[in-house]
Amino acid sequence: MVISTQAAAQSPAVRARSRRSREEELLVWPDLVFVEFISAVLFTLSFTLLSVLIDAPLQDRANPAHTPDPSKAPWYFLNLQELLLHMHPALAGVIVPTVALAALAAIPYFDRSLEHQGEWLATPRAWTMTAIGAVVGTVGTILLILWDGQKHVVLWARLTGHDVAEWPAKLNWLRNARSIQNNIAWPESWRHIPLGSKVLRTDLLGLPKVDLDVNLPAVLVEQVIPVSFMVGLPLLLSLVLWRLGIAKTRRDHMIVQFSGFIAVFLTLTISGTFFRGSGMELFWFWDVKPAVS
Amino acid sequence: MVTTERPESRPLGDRVYDAIFHNYVWRSVFRSGYPNTPRNQMLAVATNVFLHLHPTRIHRTHVKITHTFCLGGLSFFLFLGLTITGVLLMFYYVPSVERAYEDMQRIQTDVRFGMLMRNLHRWMAHGMVLAVLMHMMRVFYTGAYKPPREFNWVVGVVLLVLTLLLSFTGYLLPWDELSLWAITVGTNMVGSAPILGEPNRFVLIGGFDVGASALIRFYTLHVVGLPLLAAVFMTVHFWRIRRDGGLARPL
Ligand code: HEM
Repeated sequence: MVISTQAAAQSPAVRARSRRSREEELLVWPDLVFVEFISAVLFTLSFTLLSVLIDAPLQDRANPAHTPDPSKAPWYFLNLQELLLHMHPALAGVIVPTVALAALAAIPYFDRSLEHQGEWLATPRAWTMTAIGAVVGTVGTILLILWDGQKHVVLWARLTGHDVAEWPAKLNWLRNARSIQNNIAWPESWRHIPLGSKVLRTDLLGLPKVDLDVNLPAVLVEQVIPVSFMVGLPLLLSLVLWRLGIAKTRRDHMIVQFSGFIAVFLTLTISGTFFRGSGMELFWFWDVKPAVS
Repeated sequence: MVTTERPESRPLGDRVYDAIFHNYVWRSVFRSGYPNTPRNQMLAVATNVFLHLHPTRIHRTHVKITHTFCLGGLSFFLFLGLTITGVLLMFYYVPSVERAYEDMQRIQTDVRFGMLMRNLHRWMAHGMVLAVLMHMMRVFYTGAYKPPREFNWVVGVVLLVLTLLLSFTGYLLPWDELSLWAITVGTNMVGSAPILGEPNRFVLIGGFDVGASALIRFYTLHVVGLPLLAAVFMTVHFWRIRRDGGLARPL
């Protein structure tokens, strides 16, 4: 078959591969067809049972004049909605998901090793890599969310017996991401960089004028910092693991990155689903009230 | 005395079996009887239009539940289940701002088994998103994306996107508060993209706000456009599995 010639060109291991041994094979009828049939029956039964027990929600008729608080997207997009709270909407809503999907699709083109395919976590160090990716991804995301929610300020207040408002003014810029923009004395001219009227002189070409007035601190907070976290931290993790000799092969790095991605994805989804209440503020999930409109 | 040998009368079970499975009509549908030799079993798989998605033989390890956890198969199964329940819901649902919500209520209260159909459709939709995500994880952790399966992984990513879009477009249809605001939040994200965001959002919801034209667009995508696309990509996905020599296995 075509594939075996293609694979054979790549690895001596493949060249040595013996022809499929017939003893290792089962007949699809009955062995596989039977398993498929049984699973289809089981899943039909369990979904029917679920549907008898739990009704799908139907709220009041849609009313554009009433905005429920919080208004949330479906759960599998709440990860993006959570991101949206921390960065520029274009980044959270479009660029990050696009880049993430492209990176996901590119995995097989980075890691082209052939060893240990078709077995669960069979490469050496696979479990370690999964654990590292999962732990770093989860803990890192939680810490970042807490920081942007000013929870370190709350913690400091609790520990030292102060009030939250007493956080030293000098450290105000450390309250959360936005405070880097608002609580640092940026030169006023940085807040309005008239690219439109000074640099991008489209009007000279007879085109409409571009109204581009760049607010540098805002760009820093909404775009530069989030991007450097999202790109830099995963790269840093891989770099550290590589220098320490913990991750050795591309498959190792792929496992760390993929596990980290899944962990971040899940943490963001859980945070957006269970820990965001009125005004999309952080709450303990037992304090999160259902949306009111 | 002459004794003639009378044929032994056959047991009742056999005769019923014959009457059911060896009659002219049955035979016109299934040309052969139960395949009970390896040769016939392979032929049964290879010559049946539904079963021939499968190979005739399969490696021992791939039948183990813990190898795939049936997740790809489950995704496909849920897709079929969603198609069936979806068609039934379509009988009663009109995608207009005036009727959509009332139709949902009617489905729940007036239509026999309507609530069950709606629940099944909803829970299977959530289940499919979960199943596809978990299927992707199983493929990753078994290293099954490696050559020659790179492209099938890419096809899989497209299927993941289509699954999410199918679920998302369905979310608007009940036209209750949840759907309106979920879609508003979701499409606002699209609108925030640089340059192309606003025009894209406008095309997607057919206006500046989620309203009547958004409903009909989402409905059309949900019941025709996206399922067709998904079916096409699933066909490619399954075909590639066969062309890539079945599921991945250790060298
Ligand atoms: C609607 C969505 C999908 C359906 C119905 C589907 C269906 C299937 C089925 C039935 C199999 C056979 C083995 C198994 O059951 O695990 C399979 C294998 C495979 N799927 Fe999917 N899949 C979907 C989405 C995806 C996604 C999101 C990915 C990855 C990003 C993916 C990548 C693969 C690959 C690479 C294989 C070959 C696995 C191997 O050789 O062991 N699929 N798919």
